[in-house]
Amino acid sequence: MTTQQQTGQEQQQAIGQVEMSLRQDGRTRMAGNTQAFLRNHAPFNKMQPDALQRFAEKAKIVFYAAGSEILGPDSGKVRYFYLIESGKVQARQAGEVTVTEYSVLSLSAGESFPIGAVTAGRPSTNLYTAVDDTFCYQLPAEDFLALMASSPEFNLFCTRYIASLLDQSRRQLQLQFSQRASEQQTLNSPLAGIGSRSPITVAPETPLRAALETMSKAGIGSLVIAGEDRKAVGVFTRTDLLDRVVLADLPLSTPVSQAMSANPFMIEEHATAYDAMFAMATHGIRHVLVTDAEGKLTGVVSERDLFSLQRVGLRQIRQSIDGAHNVDALKQAAADVRQLSFNMLAQGVGAEQLTQFISALNDALTRRVIQLNLEKHNFDGIEWAWLAFGSEGRDEQTFSTDQDNGIVFAPPEGASVEALKQRFLAYALDVNNDLDRVGFPLCKGNIMASNPQWCLTLEEWKDQFGSWIRMPQPDALLNATIFFDFRALFGKHELADAMRRHLLAQTASNPMFLRAMAKNALDVEPPLGKIRDFLTDLEPGHPGKIDLKKYGSRIFVDVARIYAMASGVHNTNSIQRLRLAAQRLSIRSDEINAVLEGLNFIQLLRLQHQYLEGEPGTQGDNLIDPDKLNELDRRILKESFRQARKIQTRLKLDYQVQ
Amino acid sequence: MLGLKKFLFRGSAPSHLPDDVRASLEVWRTSAPAPLDDLHFHTRYVVVDIVSSGPNPESDRLLGLAASSIWKGAIQPDDTFYVDFSTLDGEGAGVDRQLTAFLLFAAKAPLVTYHIPYVGGFLQRAFKERLGVDFQPQWVDLAWLLPSMFEDKGDTVMPLDHWIDVFGLDAGSGRRDAMANTLLLARICQMMTVRAVGKQVDTAAQLIEESRASSFLRRNH
Repeated sequence: MTTQQQTGQEQQQAIGQVEMSLRQDGRTRMAGNTQAFLRNHAPFNKMQPDALQRFAEKAKIVFYAAGSEILGPDSGKVRYFYLIESGKVQARQAGEVTVTEYSVLSLSAGESFPIGAVTAGRPSTNLYTAVDDTFCYQLPAEDFLALMASSPEFNLFCTRYIASLLDQSRRQLQLQFSQRASEQQTLNSPLAGIGSRSPITVAPETPLRAALETMSKAGIGSLVIAGEDRKAVGVFTRTDLLDRVVLADLPLSTPVSQAMSANPFMIEEHATAYDAMFAMATHGIRHVLVTDAEGKLTGVVSERDLFSLQRVGLRQIRQSIDGAHNVDALKQAAADVRQLSFNMLAQGVGAEQLTQFISALNDALTRRVIQLNLEKHNFDGIEWAWLAFGSEGRDEQTFSTDQDNGIVFAPPEGASVEALKQRFLAYALDVNNDLDRVGFPLCKGNIMASNPQWCLTLEEWKDQFGSWIRMPQPDALLNATIFFDFRALFGKHELADAMRRHLLAQTASNPMFLRAMAKNALDVEPPLGKIRDFLTDLEPGHPGKIDLKKYGSRIFVDVARIYAMASGVHNTNSIQRLRLAAQRLSIRSDEINAVLEGLNFIQLLRLQHQYLEGEPGTQGDNLIDPDKLNELDRRILKESFRQARKIQTRLKLDYQVQ
Repeated sequence: MLGLKKFLFRGSAPSHLPDDVRASLEVWRTSAPAPLDDLHFHTRYVVVDIVSSGPNPESDRLLGLAASSIWKGAIQPDDTFYVDFSTLDGEGAGVDRQLTAFLLFAAKAPLVTYHIPYVGGFLQRAFKERLGVDFQPQWVDLAWLLPSMFEDKGDTVMPLDHWIDVFGLDAGSGRRDAMANTLLLARICQMMTVRAVGKQVDTAAQLIEESRASSFLRRNH
């Protein structure tokens, strides 16, 4: 290279630098222009100046003429976050399934979209169309995500927005449940309490005109024709009006009995709603007349009435459990518990409360079985307690839960431990079998009080816990995940408290143990794909499905257990464990709340799946097909798995697991 | 041929120009003109507005210049340009470099402005006097194009503020700086290209032609 050429290049660089600096001035000016707009709109008006500057320097300005499409499900992965500067945009749900409450939403200046899709890096579920001529600021997805990561105010705004989507999705789920719940609930209710109790009737000789006036005045579509003895002789409906009056040219002075459908379908009031539904389905009718034992009309039940029945109450169930004197009565109560849980789900109770509620009623059932069996077995003067393990121990039961239980006892001085143990085992066998009959299947892994391994004295339990903690072999770690979530269900709770104190003391003095638990907990990762959203081929024999327990809730549960033990939390419930441990370990509350939301959503999906897709009378599974979820649920599920990964990453760092 | 051209142009450059400015002007001169046959979406339009000490290009001074590009339908924050000549008091090699930098920024793209005789007049004089460059870009004049594209909203040449009102754009209160004005022009240009497509004016070349024709027609008939 000659000196002259070199100088030439340097000279161009000098101009290049001037150009660079004038371009920067331009960018700053344009950003200033954009900021003037941002400062007038939330959440931007609350953002820090540097975050605002970053947004303004990256935001392009785009124009959409009235009527043009901005973004839709077919546009592929969303690449921009849009903030409306002026004009009006309509968001419309695409496809047949409504995933949010609204089907059409109008957005105007200062509002933004599509927050959920751009956060999740997915195509939008909505179709966005400019209604008026519209200008938008358009922030590239990567800058949007960077801003979310760096600006707490912007992050809060977006997460709140996504949380509101989550809320909407939950309500949508509940709607599905309430439909299903009311269908089921009709089955056993007697007709005496359903439908209209004082139906409007007219005599057979009433002229058509008067009959029609009665219908019009009362705003009803059908009329019962009954004699003075209140025995129904026929029904006259609007359909009859068309077919038998108008088209047949029948004068309105004709008695209604000539136009009515004679021999209406009648059913006795002690029959069940199921019978009424069956009759409607069989005969293709919309109303059945309800009569008393003498055949006198007492009511009318319409199709619609069958969907708005009184719900089974919590108090009734508790009374029937506590008053049950045999397994058969408890079996009925167990079915009611299931039914009531569905109804609660339908009424908007979240997963956390619901699983605790199921656990509480299952506890009541189990206690009653334990009590009933004590009539045949006597342990007076002996301190003992019935222990619940696993999900029951954590108050996290779903609809499909088998038994996990054990016994702890303190033999009185001088008593034969072995003889006492045999008596407890015999008793436990009766209880286990009764629980099975009531609806809690026997544990396949034989984690039951009737197994001599899990019917131990307090000292034996302490030794057992101690040996698992000192020698964290793989099966010891597996046992720890089941048995360390224990809870006294019946009997002397102090025994369980003593076990807990021992456990926490032991773990505190054996740091290696928690590290081994952490390593174990990290063996399973959430099924997030690198290219696809979800990995669905992890379960051999179930291609296309995700096990929501194994790859979902268990991850949270395992992490919760470790942090609880590390911070001396006595609770067994995972959500309580995480909340309390987070306080003691100074984990930010918004961070832990996001994690809990994730866990709750997965639990809700499990409940939904077990209820809506489980065969009646069989145990539901936890295998879901993500492709069958609606777009929004899929997005939230992905976010929930991300939360699982986040808390795992934290565990990995805290315990230095490679 | 190329050598001859170089020779001729260099000959017309004022002798006071620093070497780096000469070299950059050379780069600009020999660079290929922007293609004008692509659709609007693929064309980089440079929207430009100026600030001057008065309305007369022959006697008043050019004080500042703001430009931003529209590309792929969007006003691009990464592709903007702003110069305030008053800071250098309009003198010296600094101004020469800034003017040259604008040529490199614009890169022979079609220029969009409002009222060419004003904006173009000032630029032409500045480039001629300072750099010896005969500045003849491909102009798109919104002042003439808007009445022919939006005949429903106004059919004669009108002040810019009229169009800002008609389109309901938020022009802020008080005096606008050159960049705010440029960005308003850019937004109007975005609206205008959508209209143009509806009238089968699909490319930059057609738009430039339309701009020339409408100004010619309106001036002469």
